[in-house]
Amino acid sequence: MGSKPKVAFFDFACCEGCQLQIANLEEDVIGLTNLVDVVEFREILTGKAPEYDIAFIEGSITRKEDEERIKDIRERSKLLVAFGQCAVSGGINRLKNNRESLEDVKKEVYGDSYNMPHLDTFPTKGVDEVVKVDFHIPGCPIDKNEFLSVVKAIALGKAPSIPNYPVCIECKLRENECLFDLDQVCLGPLARAGCGAVCPSNGVPCDACRGTVDNPNQNAMHEILEKYNYTIDEIQRKINLFGVKPEVKK
Amino acid sequence: MEILKISENDFMSFLDKKIDEKAEKVIGVVKKGSHFVFNELESSDKLALDYDVTMLPPKKYFQPPKELLLKYKPGNPESYRAVNNCDPMAIVGIHYYDLAAIYMMDRAFSEGERDEHYMKKRDNSILVGLYPTKYFKYRFAKSVVRDQAYKVADLMMVKMNGDYVVEVVSEKGKDFIKGGNFIENTYTLQEIDDAKNKVKDDQKIPISVELIPDYLGKNHGHPVWEVFGEKCFSCGSCVLVCPTCYCFDVRDEVELNLEEGKRIRIWDGCMLEDFAVCADGHNFRKEKGQRFRHRIYRKGKHLPEKYHYFGCVGCGRCQYSCAADIAGPVKVIKYMEDNKQGGQNV
Ligand code: SF4
Ligand code: SF4
Ligand code: SF4
Ligand code: SF4
Ligand code: SF4
Repeated sequence: MGSKPKVAFFDFACCEGCQLQIANLEEDVIGLTNLVDVVEFREILTGKAPEYDIAFIEGSITRKEDEERIKDIRERSKLLVAFGQCAVSGGINRLKNNRESLEDVKKEVYGDSYNMPHLDTFPTKGVDEVVKVDFHIPGCPIDKNEFLSVVKAIALGKAPSIPNYPVCIECKLRENECLFDLDQVCLGPLARAGCGAVCPSNGVPCDACRGTVDNPNQNAMHEILEKYNYTIDEIQRKINLFGVKPEVKK
Repeated sequence: MEILKISENDFMSFLDKKIDEKAEKVIGVVKKGSHFVFNELESSDKLALDYDVTMLPPKKYFQPPKELLLKYKPGNPESYRAVNNCDPMAIVGIHYYDLAAIYMMDRAFSEGERDEHYMKKRDNSILVGLYPTKYFKYRFAKSVVRDQAYKVADLMMVKMNGDYVVEVVSEKGKDFIKGGNFIENTYTLQEIDDAKNKVKDDQKIPISVELIPDYLGKNHGHPVWEVFGEKCFSCGSCVLVCPTCYCFDVRDEVELNLEEGKRIRIWDGCMLEDFAVCADGHNFRKEKGQRFRHRIYRKGKHLPEKYHYFGCVGCGRCQYSCAADIAGPVKVIKYMEDNKQGGQNV
């Protein structure tokens, strides 16, 4: 790309924690603006542009209006990047999809006003369930440095590299004792690495907050659970937490 | 080979002196939670030589998990400058199978195009070996390792009653122990030999190591690959912890200002899903079973055919680290033996 790529940020259903990570880049913000031209970013500037080279999407799709808006953004963007687990897989928001009645969920969350038209939500979707997504940046919230590496790669015309190997590797590199040996259920063998295995390194099992690797071996998880005497439900509940799509098959 | 001895207490004082002198980093085995790791020592207090196995082998000092190779300015071919810094180090307490593995790594990194980053670290290191004093349930080193340890060790220690017997293997080792209270050995060779063999292995490869290359070749189509592959997470733990695995990936990282770049190499391994993906996106070992077979073939067929030694030193780390409980070569070959395919096995 000859001149600096025009970049815009949009948010959908989320806590905006991931945008905050970007707003918190501090001195790197200047480096970032050397690289790209930020034309739209509600969190730090006002204004609108007709077209974008790269659209960064945060949050999940939960309403009809969202669907229309994301399709419109897609049409006006050369590249579209979903960032944060809400955008990537639905994230925490996807939890509601596991409930039997969405009606009940709405009543629980919004009380008497649950029937207002703008609260008319459908089951949570990741962005790529609605439009084509060129790159995903996983994490809840995202890691600032991973975000920067993706922007750099795109600006240099390369494909960003996001780890497609499990958290166990990073855990082994830090020479941790495996939590399974300490009687805890850990999603490390399925979870997408990139966080440096922070949780297991502090004695806390991994919840796969960055989603899973591309082809997680859920059947094998089943065998581990058998070996350590856990039930399928126990593990499935953990996987559901971050809206990871695959299920542990029986 | 000169044989000396030193009391345990004197050995600790000797190490403390070495640490204070700072001529080299002194690295030893220390306790981490309920297991052991190699770490730099600040004093001999933390040293835990009575250990079963370390989480990672000492290869992390010669081929660091992430290593800077060179710096450059993007777009300027004249600007490439190799970076190859390393401090001298002495690593204390390396079991004989890990020494055998270092010997294999040295061959891999020195033959043909010498890998200067690896070799410089090796040239700057002193290896102090130790015969294991503690049982480890997955170890099967005795059934696979021959005499390679002595090809790289500078000193070999044998734990006796309150003493260490120290075999001075190299000139470097001899220089290193100057100034310590190492005195004439009084133990008989028989006593030393018994101490070397005191800790037994429970595990062993069920067939003779020499036969394995052929055996594997004939069992290319054995169901074990698929059966074990089905259980594999492609998590790479087994290759990461393996003292004889050396695969790496090379990457360029550019600073945000796009004016400075560095080339790094990081650990990689054949059990990871994307390891064998080529530039066109084709993955020539797409199936888990193919990757599983490849790893066992590396250890048991390709390396033996090239170098005439078994490419696994029997440390047992892979079996210990595998969440799916499938990675150990003993387990794989046992399964093949227990499930012979009509005339397929030798
Ligand atoms: S991914 Fe996590 S931090 Fe980011 S917006 Fe969603 S819930 Fe918030
Ligand atoms: S603690 Fe979790 S991440 Fe670490 S090795 Fe065990 S399963 Fe993998
Ligand atoms: S260890 Fe797991 S849960 Fe923790 S940050 Fe990493 S991916 Fe997320
Ligand atoms: S450690 Fe086990 S599960 Fe992980 S890649 Fe190796 S064989 Fe597969
Ligand atoms: S293959 Fe397993 S047992 Fe053999 S050297 Fe490697 S980690 Fe040790």
